[in-house]
Amino acid sequence: MSGLLNFSSNMFVVAFFLYCAAFILFAVAIMGRRWSNRDPESHRRKWGNIAFGVSSLGLVLELTYFFTRWAGGGHIPVSNMYEFMSFLSMMVMVAFTVVYLIYRKTILGLFAVPITIIIMAYAAVFPQEVQPLIPSLQSYWLKIHVTMAAAGESFFAIAFAAGFMYLLRTVNFSSTDKKDRRQQRWVEIVFFSIILVISFIITVFAFRAAGYESVFTQTKASGTAGQTTSVTQTVEYKLPPIVAPYHSKVESYQPFLGMTKPLFSAPSWMNGINAGRKFNTIIWTVISGIILYGILRLIARKPLGRAASPFLDGIDPDDLDEISYRAIAIGFPIFTLGALIFAMIWAQVAWGRFWGWDPKEVWALICWLFYSAYLHLRLSRGWQGRQSSWLSVLGFLVVMFTLVGVNLVIAGLHSYAGTN
Amino acid sequence: MMKEVIAFKNTKCECGHQNPVGTVLCEACGRPLEEQDRESNEVLEMRYDGMARRSQRANPNFIDRIWNFFSSVKIAVYMIILTLLGSMLGTIFPQENTFLNIDPSTYYKETYGTAGWIYYKLGLSHTYESWWFVLLLVMIGASLVICSLDRVLPLYKALTKQRILKHKQFLTRQRVVYQGPVELESKEWVEQASVHIKKRGYRVHTLDNALLAEKYRFSRWGPYVIHIGLIIFLLAVLARGLPGLHMDQHVAFPEGEIKHIPNTSYYLKNEKFTVEYYSEQDLPKEFQGKNKVLPKLFKTQATLYECTANCNDPSKQPTLKAVDHHNIEVNDPMDYKGLKAYQFDYDLTPVLRSVKPSLVDKKTGKDYGTFQLKIKDPERNYKVGPYSLELKEKYNDFGLDENGQPVTKTPNPNAPAFLFLIKGPNLPAEGVHYFYFPKQVDKERFQQDAINAKMNGGSVPLELDVKGMGNVDLSMSTTYLNIRVDKAMPFVWVGAAIVMLGLVLGFYWQHRRIWLRIDDGNLTLGAHTNKNWFGIRREIAAILRKMNLEVDEKSLDNGGNHS
Repeated sequence: MSGLLNFSSNMFVVAFFLYCAAFILFAVAIMGRRWSNRDPESHRRKWGNIAFGVSSLGLVLELTYFFTRWAGGGHIPVSNMYEFMSFLSMMVMVAFTVVYLIYRKTILGLFAVPITIIIMAYAAVFPQEVQPLIPSLQSYWLKIHVTMAAAGESFFAIAFAAGFMYLLRTVNFSSTDKKDRRQQRWVEIVFFSIILVISFIITVFAFRAAGYESVFTQTKASGTAGQTTSVTQTVEYKLPPIVAPYHSKVESYQPFLGMTKPLFSAPSWMNGINAGRKFNTIIWTVISGIILYGILRLIARKPLGRAASPFLDGIDPDDLDEISYRAIAIGFPIFTLGALIFAMIWAQVAWGRFWGWDPKEVWALICWLFYSAYLHLRLSRGWQGRQSSWLSVLGFLVVMFTLVGVNLVIAGLHSYAGTN
Repeated sequence: MMKEVIAFKNTKCECGHQNPVGTVLCEACGRPLEEQDRESNEVLEMRYDGMARRSQRANPNFIDRIWNFFSSVKIAVYMIILTLLGSMLGTIFPQENTFLNIDPSTYYKETYGTAGWIYYKLGLSHTYESWWFVLLLVMIGASLVICSLDRVLPLYKALTKQRILKHKQFLTRQRVVYQGPVELESKEWVEQASVHIKKRGYRVHTLDNALLAEKYRFSRWGPYVIHIGLIIFLLAVLARGLPGLHMDQHVAFPEGEIKHIPNTSYYLKNEKFTVEYYSEQDLPKEFQGKNKVLPKLFKTQATLYECTANCNDPSKQPTLKAVDHHNIEVNDPMDYKGLKAYQFDYDLTPVLRSVKPSLVDKKTGKDYGTFQLKIKDPERNYKVGPYSLELKEKYNDFGLDENGQPVTKTPNPNAPAFLFLIKGPNLPAEGVHYFYFPKQVDKERFQQDAINAKMNGGSVPLELDVKGMGNVDLSMSTTYLNIRVDKAMPFVWVGAAIVMLGLVLGFYWQHRRIWLRIDDGNLTLGAHTNKNWFGIRREIAAILRKMNLEVDEKSLDNGGNHS
């Protein structure tokens, strides 16, 4: 790696820790309002400004990471999963900064900055080398299409943060009414999903730091009877194998907590070489997610939604609703341009058809239809506030599935963007 | 008749204005028309300024009912959601059009098991071409047209004939309201305020003690512009299905060959195809030494010819004129008068084009001369020295059927074979039959000498021999290009551009209006915007501050619906 690229990755790490610091400072600004001997409003303003300053500094460093990597790698760093996810995290910060400057709501930082932190950490799970561009990516549309699409999506992330805050603010966490209970449960599910992502990242990094590896081989016979050819593929597990690939042989198994062989094999319909490994990762994510959630529940001694809601005391829910709507209103045209129109132009230039119903294209359309429905529903009475907040939460889930899920589960023409 | 009378009664406002049926707020003064509504203190429903819409006719007939169905936003949202869910289904397994050569009736079952079979049987393997999906898109198109017409006309009417002085209830029931005493004389206050309001980009109209300020009205047309763009886009997409507007072919071009592009008067020659890979040092360290190959470039140097004469006459050679030359790369297609050629795939298997064998005497080794044998279009007769060769049969992909008879297995020139009848000195008068395999591997595999000896009842004294690779003409590679014509594309782009214009108009500006009136030294101010209430509250607080009225932004909020 050249010196410039080294410098670039250092900037990435420093930006990450600055965001973490900004998150803590935002928490101080919000929680410290009730500390003794101070005026809550001036405390919030003072610490909110410090926190915003730190997060802005983090953004400057992440921009430095981006441009130095561009210079050092020779092409815009948005061409693989690591680069794209870190770019997305950067755009979420940009969107946060824009919305923060409009509305000046300190509390927004407490919810938006963690999104950036999580996306950045998730990016670091993927291989970080600068890879040269394959022919289909050698186009200036790479710069325009991918950056615009990410910019639009990042505003949806802010809408998600504001929508979720609205829910935490307005859901009645002390009620045992059936309707309220259902709302409480869904808020808890959102928390748990976020914790799943975090625990996935922690698990991957913990075992990577420990240098864990086990290897399996899978031999697949193909061809007609009498004249078979067999292909042997190797798969490396970086997490201790609880589940082995379907029909596979252990090459090497690094024992873990007394486990010396996989507990079971993947079912036959998961017959792909990587399907077993992905299934194993999911099992680990769920196990560590439940542990992490359990720990947090023990610390809070109550459901996380109820524990988090006091942070939002004194915040006007109408403002949160408006921020969420406004973020979508800002992001929607950018998303349309970047993720659909520019994508169509590029597809026309590269493949000769502007639309081919490739899974990634379809999911971009699904996102667009979803937010179109959201925008139309807001015209009707009764769809502001609660309902539209849930939609903005759900919408961001659809966006994340488009960006990550499609690559991991469906693939297609955009599969180059996904690894592992 | 009776109903009309009732309607007549109901829609006449106390200000004297006669409103059409379905009007919520008087078109002139803005006073709520419904008796119950007048007693309420709730924030007014300001959609289309309370104008009546066509879809609110009292006695809908058949056409009205269709109109009402498509003009409903609720129905539109349902259709959007259904399209969304339908699209999701189509991404579960790859669609049929992802593959060039598959038989879907067996492919899905073999590859994905029972789930794949069900998927295929439900028609989901071609979701986006299925009748219900296309119907949904057409219905969305209808909804776009009707929704827009139903709303844009009343809205246009309402916005072009606005009255400055509005009913007091109209002001106090806006979402942004301020009420309070003013110190100045009413006319003077209005005059001073209008200066400050104008500074913020408003167009201000005053009438004695009342004021109407308005800005960015064009933003209201945003949604309709979006809908017009979407309609053009959808029509253009539908038009691609019409004959002559759209062509899409996948054609193989062996290197060095001029090949006709089917259904056109064009020919394309693949002069040279190049594929380059990144060298080891270009790859990141983690990839080096792992035999990872990453392509760097696919390039077809192509020349396009147009046929100028003898185009449809198979007996004559067509006259070709070179019209374009282009290095076709993945992101850089050839484009000649709307005919586009895209790099799609390649095959590096060499293909034999022609050989130049010598006719040799087996015993003496005497060389009687050579001739050129084209693999694809061989001539029928050849003259070599004193001998004549007549081509009797040609096999592209030689093989033997179950009866031991020679057959051609596929039309691809994988194992070309030629059967000649040779006549000349030292040969029987009726000549000898001679099988010739230009490829050395085939010659050995099919035992050319043994076949020939068997056919003629003894060894043939002559032999065809390619002396050295210099006499072999190979096409080193084949490039696959997608040849496309898409005459509807300009309309697709125009549609998309209009959509974008509408989005920017509608989302980045907001139509803001401020009404105020002063009655007996008391100011009543109401304001409306179609989005961004935060912004308009801030603006009004700033304007009032200029007029020495200190108000908290938030206190201007009158609650109510937030659309």
